[in-house]
Amino acid sequence: MSTQDTKPVELKLYKAHEKVYPRETKGRFQFKRKLAVFILLGLFYLLPWIDWGSHQAVLFDLPARRFYIFGITLWPQDFIFLALMLIIAAFALFFFTALAGRLWCGFACPQTVWTEVFIWMEQLTEGNRNKRMKLDKGPWNFNKIWRKTAKQFLWITFALWTGFTFVGFFTPIKELAVNVWTWDLGSWEMFWLFFYGLATYGNAGFLREQVCLYMCPYARFQGAMFDKETLIISYDEQRGEPRMRGKTRREAENPGDCIDCTMCVQVCPTGIDIRDGLQYECIACAACIDACDEVMEAVGLPKGLIRYTTENALAGKPSRIIRPRMVTYFIILMLLVSSFGYAFFTRSSIDTNIIPDRNSFYRIVDAQRIENVYNLKIMNKGPKTAQYQVNATGLDGLEVDFETDVGGLSAEPGELISVPIRIRADRIVANKKIHTIKVVVNEVDNPNNISTETVKYFGYNK
Amino acid sequence: MGTQPIVKNRDFNERQIKRIFYRRLGIVTWVSFVAAALQTMIFFAQFDPAYLNEIASITISIGRWQGYALGFVFFWSFTFITGLFCGVVMALPRTRLAQRTTPE
Repeated sequence: MSTQDTKPVELKLYKAHEKVYPRETKGRFQFKRKLAVFILLGLFYLLPWIDWGSHQAVLFDLPARRFYIFGITLWPQDFIFLALMLIIAAFALFFFTALAGRLWCGFACPQTVWTEVFIWMEQLTEGNRNKRMKLDKGPWNFNKIWRKTAKQFLWITFALWTGFTFVGFFTPIKELAVNVWTWDLGSWEMFWLFFYGLATYGNAGFLREQVCLYMCPYARFQGAMFDKETLIISYDEQRGEPRMRGKTRREAENPGDCIDCTMCVQVCPTGIDIRDGLQYECIACAACIDACDEVMEAVGLPKGLIRYTTENALAGKPSRIIRPRMVTYFIILMLLVSSFGYAFFTRSSIDTNIIPDRNSFYRIVDAQRIENVYNLKIMNKGPKTAQYQVNATGLDGLEVDFETDVGGLSAEPGELISVPIRIRADRIVANKKIHTIKVVVNEVDNPNNISTETVKYFGYNK
Repeated sequence: MGTQPIVKNRDFNERQIKRIFYRRLGIVTWVSFVAAALQTMIFFAQFDPAYLNEIASITISIGRWQGYALGFVFFWSFTFITGLFCGVVMALPRTRLAQRTTPE
Protein backbone atom coordinates (compact mmCIF):
# COMPACT_ATOMS: atom_id res chain seq x y z
CA MET A 1 0.00 0.00 0.00
CA SER A 2 1.51 3.33 -0.90
CA THR A 3 1.38 6.16 1.54
CA GLN A 4 1.43 8.72 -1.19
CA ASP A 5 -2.16 8.60 -2.32
CA THR A 6 -3.79 8.35 1.08
CA LYS A 7 -4.99 11.50 2.67
CA PRO A 8 -4.16 11.86 6.34
CA VAL A 9 -7.14 11.09 8.48
CA GLU A 10 -7.97 12.23 11.96
CA LEU A 11 -7.28 9.29 14.21
CA LYS A 12 -8.24 8.58 17.74
CA LEU A 13 -6.55 6.26 20.19
CA TYR A 14 -9.78 4.38 20.30
CA LYS A 15 -13.23 5.59 19.53
CA ALA A 16 -14.54 7.69 22.39
CA HIS A 17 -16.39 4.82 23.87
CA GLU A 18 -20.09 5.16 24.20
CA LYS A 19 -21.37 2.43 26.45
CA VAL A 20 -23.75 0.09 24.72
CA TYR A 21 -26.80 -0.80 26.76
CA PRO A 22 -28.24 -3.82 25.02
CA ARG A 23 -31.94 -4.28 25.59
CA GLU A 24 -32.98 -7.78 26.63
CA THR A 25 -34.81 -9.87 24.02
CA LYS A 26 -36.62 -13.14 23.90
CA GLY A 27 -37.08 -15.36 20.92
CA ARG A 28 -35.96 -18.51 19.19
CA PHE A 29 -32.40 -17.34 18.53
CA GLN A 30 -31.97 -15.94 22.02
CA PHE A 31 -33.16 -19.28 23.37
CA LYS A 32 -30.47 -21.03 21.36
CA ARG A 33 -27.86 -18.59 22.59
CA LYS A 34 -28.90 -19.16 26.16
CA LEU A 35 -28.71 -22.89 25.58
CA ALA A 36 -25.19 -22.46 24.20
CA VAL A 37 -24.22 -20.48 27.30
CA PHE A 38 -25.49 -23.21 29.60
CA ILE A 39 -23.82 -26.02 27.68
CA LEU A 40 -20.46 -24.32 27.18
CA LEU A 41 -20.12 -22.72 30.59
CA GLY A 42 -21.60 -25.83 32.18
CA LEU A 43 -18.82 -27.87 30.61
CA PHE A 44 -16.21 -25.36 31.66
CA TYR A 45 -17.29 -25.12 35.29
CA LEU A 46 -18.20 -28.76 35.87
CA LEU A 47 -15.60 -30.76 33.91
CA PRO A 48 -12.72 -30.25 36.36
CA TRP A 49 -14.82 -31.70 39.18
CA ILE A 50 -15.42 -34.99 37.43
CA ASP A 51 -13.05 -37.87 38.10
CA TRP A 52 -12.07 -40.59 35.71
CA GLY A 53 -10.49 -43.58 37.40
CA SER A 54 -7.74 -42.39 39.67
CA HIS A 55 -7.36 -38.94 38.17
CA GLN A 56 -9.34 -35.88 37.17
CA ALA A 57 -11.24 -36.47 33.92
CA VAL A 58 -9.73 -33.49 32.14
CA LEU A 59 -6.39 -32.40 33.51
CA PHE A 60 -3.55 -30.72 31.68
CA ASP A 61 -0.81 -31.71 34.06
CA LEU A 62 2.00 -29.47 32.84
CA PRO A 63 4.51 -30.18 35.65
CA ALA A 64 4.30 -33.90 34.88
CA ARG A 65 4.10 -33.18 31.14
CA ARG A 66 1.00 -35.25 30.50
CA PHE A 67 -2.59 -34.47 29.54
CA TYR A 68 -5.51 -36.54 30.73
CA ILE A 69 -8.64 -36.35 28.63
CA PHE A 70 -11.04 -38.91 30.07
CA GLY A 71 -9.51 -42.31 29.36
CA ILE A 72 -6.79 -40.94 27.14
CA THR A 73 -3.33 -39.90 28.28
CA LEU A 74 -1.37 -37.66 25.98
CA TRP A 75 2.36 -36.98 26.15
CA PRO A 76 4.52 -34.32 24.56
CA GLN A 77 5.27 -36.92 21.87
CA ASP A 78 1.60 -36.70 20.88
CA PHE A 79 1.88 -33.02 20.09
CA ILE A 80 1.05 -33.77 16.46
CA PHE A 81 -2.51 -34.57 17.53
CA LEU A 82 -2.91 -31.21 19.20
CA ALA A 83 -1.57 -29.48 16.11
CA LEU A 84 -3.90 -31.49 13.87
CA MET A 85 -6.83 -30.69 16.11
CA LEU A 86 -6.10 -26.97 15.87
CA ILE A 87 -5.93 -27.22 12.07
CA ILE A 88 -9.25 -29.08 12.06
CA ALA A 89 -10.76 -26.38 14.26
CA ALA A 90 -9.53 -23.71 11.84
CA PHE A 91 -11.06 -25.47 8.85
CA ALA A 92 -14.30 -26.09 10.70
CA LEU A 93 -14.38 -22.36 11.37
CA PHE A 94 -13.87 -21.63 7.65
CA PHE A 95 -16.55 -24.13 6.72
CA PHE A 96 -19.19 -22.80 9.08
CA THR A 97 -18.34 -19.19 8.29
CA ALA A 98 -18.82 -19.80 4.58
CA LEU A 99 -22.05 -21.64 5.32
CA ALA A 100 -23.76 -19.38 7.82
CA GLY A 101 -21.54 -16.43 8.67
CA ARG A 102 -20.28 -15.70 12.13
CA LEU A 103 -21.94 -18.56 13.98
CA TRP A 104 -18.84 -18.83 16.14
CA CYS A 105 -19.05 -15.19 17.25
CA GLY A 106 -22.74 -15.22 18.03
CA PHE A 107 -23.01 -18.51 19.83
CA ALA A 108 -19.75 -20.12 20.85
CA CYS A 109 -17.01 -17.54 21.36
CA PRO A 110 -15.99 -17.34 25.03
CA GLN A 111 -16.03 -13.56 24.74
CA THR A 112 -19.71 -13.58 23.73
CA VAL A 113 -20.66 -16.27 26.19
CA TRP A 114 -19.10 -14.61 29.23
CA THR A 115 -20.38 -11.21 28.13
CA GLU A 116 -23.91 -12.68 28.06
CA VAL A 117 -23.56 -13.78 31.66
CA PHE A 118 -22.10 -10.45 32.76
CA ILE A 119 -24.90 -8.53 31.04
CA TRP A 120 -27.40 -10.80 32.73
CA MET A 121 -25.87 -9.90 36.11
CA GLU A 122 -25.99 -6.24 35.17
CA GLN A 123 -29.69 -6.56 34.37
CA LEU A 124 -30.30 -8.38 37.59
CA THR A 125 -28.80 -5.63 39.71
CA GLU A 126 -29.34 -2.47 37.68
CA GLY A 127 -32.56 -3.29 35.87
CA ASN A 128 -33.46 -3.08 32.21
CA ARG A 129 -31.95 -0.89 29.50
CA ASN A 130 -33.77 2.32 30.37
CA LYS A 131 -33.13 1.94 34.08
CA ARG A 132 -29.46 1.28 33.46
CA MET A 133 -29.09 4.38 31.29
CA LYS A 134 -30.91 6.50 33.82
CA LEU A 135 -28.84 5.08 36.68
CA ASP A 136 -25.57 5.86 34.91
CA LYS A 137 -26.64 9.43 34.21
CA GLY A 138 -28.04 10.00 37.68
CA PRO A 139 -26.22 11.17 40.78
CA TRP A 140 -24.40 8.87 43.18
CA ASN A 141 -27.21 8.33 45.59
CA PHE A 142 -27.82 5.35 47.83
CA ASN A 143 -29.76 3.49 45.14
CA LYS A 144 -26.95 3.82 42.63
CA ILE A 145 -24.25 2.90 45.11
CA TRP A 146 -25.82 -0.28 46.33
CA ARG A 147 -26.86 -1.40 42.87
CA LYS A 148 -23.37 -0.82 41.51
CA THR A 149 -21.84 -2.53 44.53
CA ALA A 150 -24.10 -5.52 44.09
CA LYS A 151 -23.14 -5.74 40.42
CA GLN A 152 -19.44 -5.52 41.18
CA PHE A 153 -19.81 -8.13 43.88
CA LEU A 154 -21.48 -10.55 41.44
CA TRP A 155 -18.98 -9.79 38.69
CA ILE A 156 -15.90 -10.16 40.87
CA THR A 157 -17.12 -13.35 42.53
CA PHE A 158 -17.95 -14.87 39.18
CA ALA A 159 -14.65 -13.75 37.65
CA LEU A 160 -12.66 -15.21 40.54
CA TRP A 161 -14.59 -18.46 40.30
CA THR A 162 -13.76 -18.50 36.59
CA GLY A 163 -10.08 -17.97 37.31
CA PHE A 164 -10.18 -20.73 39.92
CA THR A 165 -11.84 -23.13 37.47
CA PHE A 166 -9.31 -22.24 34.79
CA VAL A 167 -6.40 -23.09 37.07
CA GLY A 168 -8.33 -26.25 37.99
CA PHE A 169 -7.74 -27.55 34.49
CA PHE A 170 -3.99 -27.47 35.11
CA THR A 171 -3.72 -28.53 38.71
CA PRO A 172 -6.03 -31.01 40.47
CA ILE A 173 -9.01 -28.83 41.36
CA LYS A 174 -9.87 -30.54 44.62
CA GLU A 175 -6.39 -29.95 46.01
CA LEU A 176 -6.58 -26.44 44.65
CA ALA A 177 -9.85 -25.82 46.46
CA VAL A 178 -8.24 -26.87 49.73
CA ASN A 179 -5.25 -24.64 49.00
CA VAL A 180 -7.49 -21.69 48.25
CA TRP A 181 -9.44 -22.31 51.44
CA THR A 182 -6.31 -22.43 53.58
CA TRP A 183 -4.69 -19.65 51.51
CA ASP A 184 -1.74 -21.82 50.66
CA LEU A 185 -1.45 -21.18 46.95
CA GLY A 186 1.71 -21.57 44.93
CA SER A 187 2.91 -18.40 43.22
CA TRP A 188 1.96 -19.44 39.69
CA GLU A 189 -1.45 -20.72 40.81
CA MET A 190 -2.11 -17.40 42.48
CA PHE A 191 -0.93 -15.50 39.42
CA TRP A 192 -3.08 -17.42 36.93
CA LEU A 193 -6.13 -17.42 39.15
CA PHE A 194 -6.09 -13.65 39.41
CA PHE A 195 -4.88 -13.10 35.88
CA TYR A 196 -7.65 -15.15 34.30
CA GLY A 197 -10.18 -13.70 36.72
CA LEU A 198 -9.10 -10.18 35.83
CA ALA A 199 -9.18 -10.98 32.11
CA THR A 200 -12.73 -12.30 32.43
CA TYR A 201 -13.80 -9.30 34.48
CA GLY A 202 -12.26 -6.80 32.09
CA ASN A 203 -13.28 -8.47 28.84
CA ALA A 204 -16.82 -9.43 29.75
CA GLY A 205 -17.57 -6.56 32.10
CA PHE A 206 -16.03 -3.55 30.37
CA LEU A 207 -14.44 -4.20 27.01
CA ARG A 208 -17.25 -6.37 25.62
CA GLU A 209 -17.86 -5.52 21.95
CA GLN A 210 -14.56 -3.62 21.82
CA VAL A 211 -12.71 -6.94 22.00
CA CYS A 212 -14.55 -8.00 18.84
CA LEU A 213 -13.98 -4.66 17.15
CA TYR A 214 -10.37 -3.96 17.97
CA MET A 215 -8.67 -7.08 19.29
CA CYS A 216 -10.10 -10.09 17.51
CA PRO A 217 -8.17 -11.26 14.44
CA TYR A 218 -11.02 -13.48 13.27
CA ALA A 219 -13.34 -10.50 13.00
CA ARG A 220 -10.88 -8.91 10.63
CA PHE A 221 -10.56 -11.77 8.18
CA GLN A 222 -13.93 -13.51 8.43
CA GLY A 223 -15.19 -11.44 5.50
CA ALA A 224 -12.83 -13.35 3.23
CA MET A 225 -14.87 -16.52 3.74
CA PHE A 226 -18.14 -14.86 2.78
CA ASP A 227 -19.72 -15.07 -0.64
CA LYS A 228 -23.14 -14.24 -2.06
CA GLU A 229 -24.55 -17.56 -0.87
CA THR A 230 -23.47 -17.22 2.75
CA LEU A 231 -26.29 -17.00 5.26
CA ILE A 232 -26.16 -13.58 6.84
CA ILE A 233 -28.41 -11.62 9.11
CA SER A 234 -29.93 -9.01 6.91
CA TYR A 235 -32.61 -6.39 6.80
CA ASP A 236 -34.92 -6.74 3.81
CA GLU A 237 -34.55 -3.27 2.40
CA GLN A 238 -37.01 -3.77 -0.45
CA ARG A 239 -39.72 -4.74 1.98
CA GLY A 240 -38.82 -2.35 4.75
CA GLU A 241 -38.22 0.92 2.94
CA PRO A 242 -39.38 3.63 3.01
CA ARG A 243 -39.36 3.27 6.77
CA MET A 244 -41.58 5.62 8.69
CA ARG A 245 -43.62 5.82 11.84
CA GLY A 246 -46.43 7.64 13.58
CA LYS A 247 -48.36 10.27 11.71
CA THR A 248 -46.17 10.20 8.63
CA ARG A 249 -46.81 6.50 8.38
CA ARG A 250 -50.57 6.82 8.71
CA GLU A 251 -50.72 9.47 6.05
CA ALA A 252 -48.26 7.87 3.65
CA GLU A 253 -49.62 6.10 0.61
CA ASN A 254 -47.25 3.20 0.45
CA PRO A 255 -45.10 2.89 3.57
CA GLY A 256 -42.49 0.19 3.89
CA ASP A 257 -42.89 -2.55 6.49
CA CYS A 258 -40.29 -1.07 8.81
CA ILE A 259 -42.07 0.98 11.43
CA ASP A 260 -38.80 2.54 12.55
CA CYS A 261 -39.22 1.47 16.17
CA THR A 262 -35.41 1.07 16.48
CA MET A 263 -35.83 -2.10 18.51
CA CYS A 264 -33.18 -3.77 16.36
CA VAL A 265 -30.73 -1.02 17.30
CA GLN A 266 -31.59 -1.13 21.00
CA VAL A 267 -31.01 -4.86 21.35
CA CYS A 268 -27.73 -4.90 19.45
CA PRO A 269 -24.82 -5.74 21.77
CA THR A 270 -22.34 -4.00 19.45
CA GLY A 271 -24.52 -0.93 19.01
CA ILE A 272 -25.00 -0.96 15.23
CA ASP A 273 -28.02 -0.47 13.00
CA ILE A 274 -28.52 -3.63 10.97
CA ARG A 275 -30.65 -1.65 8.53
CA ASP A 276 -27.46 -0.06 7.20
CA GLY A 277 -26.51 -3.40 5.72
CA LEU A 278 -24.02 -6.09 6.68
CA GLN A 279 -21.33 -4.60 8.88
CA TYR A 280 -18.03 -5.79 10.19
CA GLU A 281 -19.19 -5.05 13.74
CA CYS A 282 -22.10 -7.51 13.51
CA ILE A 283 -21.33 -10.62 15.56
CA ALA A 284 -24.41 -12.45 14.23
CA CYS A 285 -26.09 -12.87 17.59
CA ALA A 286 -29.50 -12.59 15.87
CA ALA A 287 -30.94 -10.44 18.68
CA CYS A 288 -32.32 -8.04 16.05
CA ILE A 289 -34.15 -10.91 14.32
CA ASP A 290 -35.92 -11.84 17.53
CA ALA A 291 -36.71 -8.22 18.38
CA CYS A 292 -38.04 -7.43 14.92
CA ASP A 293 -40.11 -10.60 14.71
CA GLU A 294 -41.80 -9.69 17.97
CA VAL A 295 -42.63 -6.20 16.69
CA MET A 296 -43.84 -7.48 13.33
CA GLU A 297 -46.13 -9.90 15.10
CA ALA A 298 -47.51 -7.12 17.30
CA VAL A 299 -48.28 -4.82 14.37
CA GLY A 300 -49.70 -7.65 12.27
CA LEU A 301 -47.09 -7.72 9.54
CA PRO A 302 -45.34 -10.87 8.33
CA LYS A 303 -42.22 -11.82 10.31
CA GLY A 304 -38.76 -11.90 8.85
CA LEU A 305 -38.15 -8.27 7.95
CA ILE A 306 -34.75 -8.96 9.48
CA ARG A 307 -33.81 -12.57 8.90
CA TYR A 308 -31.11 -15.08 8.05
CA THR A 309 -30.82 -14.88 4.32
CA THR A 310 -28.24 -14.69 1.56
CA GLU A 311 -27.18 -11.83 -0.61
CA ASN A 312 -28.46 -13.68 -3.66
CA ALA A 313 -31.84 -14.38 -2.07
CA LEU A 314 -32.26 -10.70 -1.24
CA ALA A 315 -31.54 -9.86 -4.86
CA GLY A 316 -34.19 -12.34 -5.94
CA LYS A 317 -31.74 -14.90 -7.28
CA PRO A 318 -31.74 -18.56 -6.26
CA SER A 319 -29.34 -19.56 -3.46
CA ARG A 320 -27.56 -22.83 -3.23
CA ILE A 321 -25.74 -24.39 -0.35
CA ILE A 322 -23.58 -26.76 -2.36
CA ARG A 323 -21.04 -24.73 -4.24
CA PRO A 324 -17.33 -25.13 -5.05
CA ARG A 325 -16.20 -23.24 -1.95
CA MET A 326 -18.31 -25.38 0.36
CA VAL A 327 -17.27 -28.60 -1.35
CA THR A 328 -13.59 -27.69 -1.10
CA TYR A 329 -13.80 -26.77 2.57
CA PHE A 330 -15.83 -29.88 3.27
CA ILE A 331 -13.44 -32.25 1.50
CA ILE A 332 -10.41 -30.78 3.26
CA LEU A 333 -12.20 -30.92 6.59
CA MET A 334 -13.26 -34.54 6.10
CA LEU A 335 -9.75 -35.57 5.01
CA LEU A 336 -8.29 -33.95 8.10
CA VAL A 337 -10.87 -35.43 10.44
CA SER A 338 -10.51 -38.94 9.05
CA SER A 339 -6.72 -38.86 9.06
CA PHE A 340 -6.80 -37.54 12.60
CA GLY A 341 -9.22 -40.28 13.64
CA TYR A 342 -7.15 -42.99 11.97
CA ALA A 343 -3.86 -41.76 13.39
CA PHE A 344 -5.33 -41.26 16.83
CA PHE A 345 -7.03 -44.59 17.23
CA THR A 346 -4.20 -46.64 15.77
CA ARG A 347 -1.54 -44.83 17.77
CA SER A 348 0.80 -47.02 19.72
CA SER A 349 1.43 -46.45 23.39
CA ILE A 350 5.09 -47.26 22.79
CA ASP A 351 7.48 -44.66 21.52
CA THR A 352 10.84 -46.04 20.44
CA ASN A 353 14.07 -44.66 19.17
CA ILE A 354 17.10 -46.72 18.15
CA ILE A 355 20.58 -45.36 17.55
CA PRO A 356 23.54 -47.45 16.31
CA ASP A 357 26.55 -47.51 18.57
CA ARG A 358 28.99 -45.04 17.09
CA ASN A 359 32.17 -46.77 18.24
CA SER A 360 32.17 -49.72 15.90
CA PHE A 361 30.29 -50.88 12.83
CA TYR A 362 30.19 -54.50 13.80
CA ARG A 363 32.20 -57.13 15.56
CA ILE A 364 32.58 -60.81 15.09
CA VAL A 365 31.67 -63.13 17.92
CA ASP A 366 32.22 -66.89 18.14
CA ALA A 367 34.15 -66.59 14.84
CA GLN A 368 30.91 -67.20 13.01
CA ARG A 369 28.49 -64.45 13.90
CA ILE A 370 28.25 -60.69 13.31
CA GLU A 371 27.16 -58.45 16.13
CA ASN A 372 25.85 -54.84 15.85
CA VAL A 373 25.27 -52.80 18.96
CA TYR A 374 22.52 -50.20 19.32
CA ASN A 375 21.08 -48.01 21.98
CA LEU A 376 17.33 -48.54 22.25
CA LYS A 377 15.05 -46.05 23.96
CA ILE A 378 11.50 -46.98 24.87
CA MET A 379 8.93 -44.63 26.30
CA ASN A 380 5.75 -45.95 27.85
CA LYS A 381 2.91 -43.67 26.80
CA GLY A 382 0.29 -46.03 28.19
CA PRO A 383 -1.64 -45.69 31.42
CA LYS A 384 0.05 -48.60 33.28
CA THR A 385 3.42 -50.27 33.74
CA ALA A 386 4.30 -52.50 30.83
CA GLN A 387 6.80 -55.25 29.96
CA TYR A 388 8.34 -55.19 26.53
CA GLN A 389 10.03 -57.64 24.21
CA VAL A 390 12.30 -56.83 21.32
CA ASN A 391 12.62 -58.70 18.03
CA ALA A 392 14.45 -58.01 14.82
CA THR A 393 13.40 -58.94 11.30
CA GLY A 394 14.83 -58.45 7.85
CA LEU A 395 17.59 -61.10 7.88
CA ASP A 396 17.36 -64.80 8.61
CA GLY A 397 18.16 -65.86 12.13
CA LEU A 398 18.54 -62.44 13.78
CA GLU A 399 18.99 -62.68 17.51
CA VAL A 400 18.41 -59.84 19.94
CA ASP A 401 20.22 -59.79 23.23
CA PHE A 402 20.25 -57.27 26.04
CA GLU A 403 21.00 -57.09 29.71
CA THR A 404 19.18 -54.99 32.27
CA ASP A 405 19.36 -54.86 36.04
CA VAL A 406 15.86 -56.25 36.44
CA GLY A 407 16.12 -58.83 33.68
CA GLY A 408 13.30 -57.78 31.39
CA LEU A 409 12.34 -54.48 29.85
CA SER A 410 9.79 -52.73 31.98
CA ALA A 411 8.65 -49.13 32.06
CA GLU A 412 6.27 -47.23 34.25
CA PRO A 413 3.74 -44.83 32.70
CA GLY A 414 5.64 -41.93 31.23
CA GLU A 415 9.01 -43.54 31.89
CA LEU A 416 11.72 -43.45 29.28
CA ILE A 417 14.11 -46.39 29.47
CA SER A 418 17.36 -46.70 27.62
CA VAL A 419 19.05 -50.05 27.03
CA PRO A 420 21.99 -51.18 24.90
CA ILE A 421 20.98 -54.09 22.66
CA ARG A 422 23.09 -56.46 20.60
CA ILE A 423 21.73 -57.93 17.40
CA ARG A 424 23.53 -60.96 16.05
CA ALA A 425 23.35 -62.65 12.65
CA ASP A 426 25.25 -65.42 10.94
CA ARG A 427 28.12 -64.06 8.82
CA ILE A 428 26.90 -66.11 5.85
CA VAL A 429 23.57 -64.30 5.98
CA ALA A 430 24.90 -60.86 6.77
CA ASN A 431 27.26 -60.84 3.83
CA LYS A 432 26.70 -57.35 2.46
CA LYS A 433 28.26 -54.19 3.71
CA ILE A 434 24.96 -52.65 4.77
CA HIS A 435 21.64 -54.35 5.39
CA THR A 436 18.40 -52.81 6.48
CA ILE A 437 16.60 -54.48 9.35
CA LYS A 438 13.54 -53.71 11.40
CA VAL A 439 13.51 -53.66 15.16
CA VAL A 440 10.11 -54.43 16.57
CA VAL A 441 9.18 -53.58 20.15
CA ASN A 442 5.92 -54.89 21.49
CA GLU A 443 4.17 -55.17 24.80
CA VAL A 444 4.30 -58.64 26.32
CA ASP A 445 0.70 -58.57 27.55
CA ASN A 446 -0.65 -56.94 24.42
CA PRO A 447 1.32 -58.06 21.34
CA ASN A 448 -0.75 -55.78 19.09
CA ASN A 449 0.70 -52.73 20.78
CA ILE A 450 3.72 -52.43 18.59
CA SER A 451 6.38 -49.99 17.48
CA THR A 452 8.72 -50.64 14.58
CA GLU A 453 11.95 -48.86 13.74
CA THR A 454 14.06 -49.34 10.64
CA VAL A 455 17.81 -49.32 11.17
CA LYS A 456 21.04 -50.10 9.31
CA TYR A 457 22.87 -53.34 9.99
CA PHE A 458 26.52 -53.66 9.06
CA GLY A 459 27.57 -57.02 7.65
CA TYR A 460 30.80 -58.78 6.68
CA ASN A 461 31.60 -58.78 2.97
CA LYS A 462 35.28 -59.65 2.79
CA MET B 1 -1.45 3.34 5.54
CA GLY B 2 -4.21 5.02 7.41
CA THR B 3 -2.01 5.40 10.48
CA GLN B 4 0.05 8.18 8.97
CA PRO B 5 0.37 11.19 11.26
CA ILE B 6 -1.74 14.11 10.33
CA VAL B 7 0.17 17.04 8.80
CA LYS B 8 -1.68 20.31 8.95
CA ASN B 9 -0.08 23.62 8.03
CA ARG B 10 3.39 22.21 8.33
CA ASP B 11 2.75 21.45 12.00
CA PHE B 12 2.79 18.01 13.38
CA ASN B 13 -0.07 17.35 15.61
CA GLU B 14 1.72 16.19 18.72
CA ARG B 15 -1.41 14.81 20.25
CA GLN B 16 -2.12 12.73 17.20
CA ILE B 17 1.38 11.33 17.19
CA LYS B 18 1.15 10.40 20.83
CA ARG B 19 -2.16 8.68 20.23
CA ILE B 20 -0.77 6.74 17.32
CA PHE B 21 2.18 5.64 19.42
CA TYR B 22 0.01 4.43 22.29
CA ARG B 23 -2.28 2.63 19.89
CA ARG B 24 0.67 0.87 18.32
CA LEU B 25 1.98 -0.01 21.76
CA GLY B 26 -1.37 -1.56 22.65
CA ILE B 27 -1.61 -3.51 19.43
CA VAL B 28 1.96 -4.78 19.72
CA THR B 29 1.44 -5.87 23.33
CA TRP B 30 -1.70 -7.79 22.50
CA VAL B 31 -0.48 -9.42 19.28
CA SER B 32 2.85 -10.41 20.80
CA PHE B 33 0.99 -11.91 23.77
CA VAL B 34 -0.98 -14.19 21.46
CA ALA B 35 2.13 -15.06 19.45
CA ALA B 36 4.13 -15.78 22.61
CA ALA B 37 1.39 -18.06 23.93
CA LEU B 38 1.53 -20.09 20.73
CA GLN B 39 5.31 -20.18 20.71
CA THR B 40 5.43 -21.32 24.34
CA MET B 41 2.97 -24.11 23.61
CA ILE B 42 4.82 -25.40 20.55
CA PHE B 43 8.28 -25.01 22.05
CA PHE B 44 7.62 -26.68 25.39
CA ALA B 45 5.72 -29.53 23.77
CA GLN B 46 9.05 -30.45 22.21
CA PHE B 47 11.52 -29.46 24.92
CA ASP B 48 11.28 -30.22 28.59
CA PRO B 49 12.30 -27.14 30.61
CA ALA B 50 13.68 -29.35 33.38
CA TYR B 51 16.04 -30.96 30.88
CA LEU B 52 16.94 -27.63 29.30
CA ASN B 53 17.83 -26.39 32.77
CA GLU B 54 20.22 -29.32 33.24
CA ILE B 55 22.12 -28.64 30.04
CA ALA B 56 21.97 -24.84 30.14
CA SER B 57 25.20 -22.93 30.49
CA ILE B 58 23.61 -20.66 33.10
CA THR B 59 23.78 -22.41 36.43
CA ILE B 60 20.44 -21.67 38.02
CA SER B 61 18.10 -24.26 39.33
CA ILE B 62 14.50 -23.88 38.27
CA GLY B 63 11.47 -26.14 38.24
CA ARG B 64 9.24 -26.86 35.28
CA TRP B 65 6.72 -24.18 36.16
CA GLN B 66 9.33 -21.49 36.39
CA GLY B 67 10.73 -22.83 33.14
CA TYR B 68 7.42 -22.40 31.37
CA ALA B 69 6.96 -18.94 32.86
CA LEU B 70 10.47 -17.82 31.92
CA GLY B 71 10.00 -19.18 28.41
CA PHE B 72 6.76 -17.30 28.05
CA VAL B 73 8.28 -14.05 29.27
CA PHE B 74 11.22 -14.59 26.95
CA PHE B 75 9.02 -15.18 23.91
CA TRP B 76 6.71 -12.33 24.81
CA SER B 77 9.47 -9.79 25.30
CA PHE B 78 11.27 -10.69 22.09
CA THR B 79 8.11 -10.73 20.00
CA PHE B 80 7.14 -7.45 21.64
CA ILE B 81 10.46 -5.85 20.80
CA THR B 82 10.27 -7.12 17.22
CA GLY B 83 6.74 -5.80 16.82
CA LEU B 84 7.54 -2.46 18.39
CA PHE B 85 10.60 -2.04 16.23
CA CYS B 86 8.56 -2.90 13.10
CA GLY B 87 5.98 -0.35 14.11
CA VAL B 88 8.53 2.37 14.74
CA VAL B 89 10.43 1.74 11.53
CA MET B 90 7.25 1.44 9.47
CA ALA B 91 6.17 4.94 10.40
CA LEU B 92 7.63 7.54 8.12
CA PRO B 93 10.31 9.73 9.67
CA ARG B 94 8.94 13.02 10.93
CA THR B 95 10.66 15.22 8.38
CA ARG B 96 8.96 17.25 5.74
CA LEU B 97 10.80 15.44 2.96
CA ALA B 98 9.56 12.04 4.05
CA GLN B 99 6.04 13.27 4.60
CA ARG B 100 5.85 15.00 1.22
CA THR B 101 2.88 13.94 -0.84
CA THR B 102 2.72 13.95 -4.61
CA PRO B 103 1.59 17.27 -6.03
CA GLU B 104 -2.07 17.18 -6.92
